[in-house]
Amino acid sequence: MITIRNIRKSFNKETVLNDISVDFDEGKTNLVIGQSGSGKTVLVKCIIGLFEVDEGEIFYHNRDIVRMTLRERQALRREMGKLFQGGALFDSLTVEENVRFPLDMFTSMTAGEKRKQVDFCLDHVRLDTAHKLFPAELSGGMQKRAAIARAIVQNPRYLFCDEPNSGLDPITAIVIDKLISEITHEFNMTTIINTHDMNSVMEIGEKVVFIHKGIKQWEGNSEGVLTSDNEYLNDFVFASNLTKKIKEKL
Amino acid sequence: MKFLQPLGSYFILMGRVLSKPEKGKIYYQQTVKEIVSLGINSIGIVIIISIFMGAVITLQTRYNLENPLIPTYLIGLTARDTMLLEFSSTIVGLILAGKVGSNIASEIGHMRITEQIDALEIMGVNSASYLILPKIIATVLFNPILTLISMFMGVFGGWAISVATGALTSSDYIYGIQYWFVPFYITYSLIKTVVFAIIITSVPAFFGYHVSGGALEVGRASTKGVVASSILILLFNVILTQLLLAK
Ligand SMILES: Nc1ncnc2c1ncn2[C@@H]1O[C@H](COP(=O)(O)OP(=O)(O)OP(=O)(O)O)[C@@H](O)[C@H]1O
Ligand SMILES: [Mg+2]
Repeated sequence: MITIRNIRKSFNKETVLNDISVDFDEGKTNLVIGQSGSGKTVLVKCIIGLFEVDEGEIFYHNRDIVRMTLRERQALRREMGKLFQGGALFDSLTVEENVRFPLDMFTSMTAGEKRKQVDFCLDHVRLDTAHKLFPAELSGGMQKRAAIARAIVQNPRYLFCDEPNSGLDPITAIVIDKLISEITHEFNMTTIINTHDMNSVMEIGEKVVFIHKGIKQWEGNSEGVLTSDNEYLNDFVFASNLTKKIKEKL
Repeated sequence: MKFLQPLGSYFILMGRVLSKPEKGKIYYQQTVKEIVSLGINSIGIVIIISIFMGAVITLQTRYNLENPLIPTYLIGLTARDTMLLEFSSTIVGLILAGKVGSNIASEIGHMRITEQIDALEIMGVNSASYLILPKIIATVLFNPILTLISMFMGVFGGWAISVATGALTSSDYIYGIQYWFVPFYITYSLIKTVVFAIIITSVPAFFGYHVSGGALEVGRASTKGVVASSILILLFNVILTQLLLAK
């Protein structure tokens, strides 16, 4: 469970997040949706503490990250997994070494235990033949999957995914979405996913938060997205001809 | 006054670099890796330029010293002292600033723009220390060895060219390089090397670490890192020479 209260963030007087409060539920996939530039990435970076908020509170099960020291933050971050918009795998390490990295860094597991855990995660994302490859040798979808494996290797309580399926074909995109949702339920994680993909919303949107120009406009689930009367949300959801036609049929 | 702000962020970054490592073993492994990539991989270039510079210094001294009253073994002495005092520390430092500095700035800059540094941070790793400290330690440990190699190779280059061109006899040269030898010159040179090693790694790392934008900015940071570290090397060369050699 992550609770944010009255978050504000601006860059050089330009307000990017304006008074946002949300409860992100445990064991659910929480989706943050909105147009490009609406502030999704900034919101997640504030939540994990890569950006400092100007105002507001962010609680991880009652622990406020805003008021933590750097050391406390580093400790809390070991409970987080993050999937970056571009994957952010370490170029100089193989897939296996990438996934093992947090274990090498923070645990005193034996080589055998680490191998087991790495294999478990790579199997989970269906990448069991890519151990020795370098990130540059993977396709976009494989990179995303390797990055997911690295994000979950320490059994995080909190998982953050920034546009997990941008740049992927619709079938691979759904595979990735389902994978994240499956992992979330299996390990009872609090998962926050940024996306502007309506397919993801319909597929895994257990909780959906809609942001427009830095303001939270709407909150609900994937069902509600289609029937809401919020003007901005309607513009967002029914932007394409395909969705407009579907709406007329409804 | 505008230079004060980057100076401030440089020292803040170095403060983070020097904080206690998460796990000693990993830092040790990284340091070994960096010794190979920044140190051992530079041996070739250091040998080549040192031999050639030793040779050219010897030739120039020879052809500018036509006075029969000056004994030719002084040419060996000149070649030796030039290598020991200036060349093997400062010039090699400048060349490594170009080679190692651009490598470090672009590596770290690339990691910044592809969010690999954010990924380290979010794992709870002190990215500044993890990425930069092993490089500093590796060069501080290994560059003195490069300097010693350079001294030896430079003096050897002078000998080789003397013999090859007949500019002076082998025995005169060898007598010259032993004549009036001041061991402190080696210490002086090694002290400079260590300071330059810190500059060569930390300054480009600073520029790489603070890149924002894309590939273009990474290129720019790498240029800035090399220029800034070269200027700092020249500046500290003057300062250290005054401190160490003034009587
Ligand atoms: N480091 C920064 N410095 C200044 N402004 C920033 C910074 N990061 C983001 N912004 C601004 O914040 C706004 C929101 O950006 P953000 O990246 O959160 O959008 P987004 O919703 O994630 O978009 P997309 O869907 O394209 O990823 C943009 O106007 C952007 O210019
Ligand atoms: Mg974004």
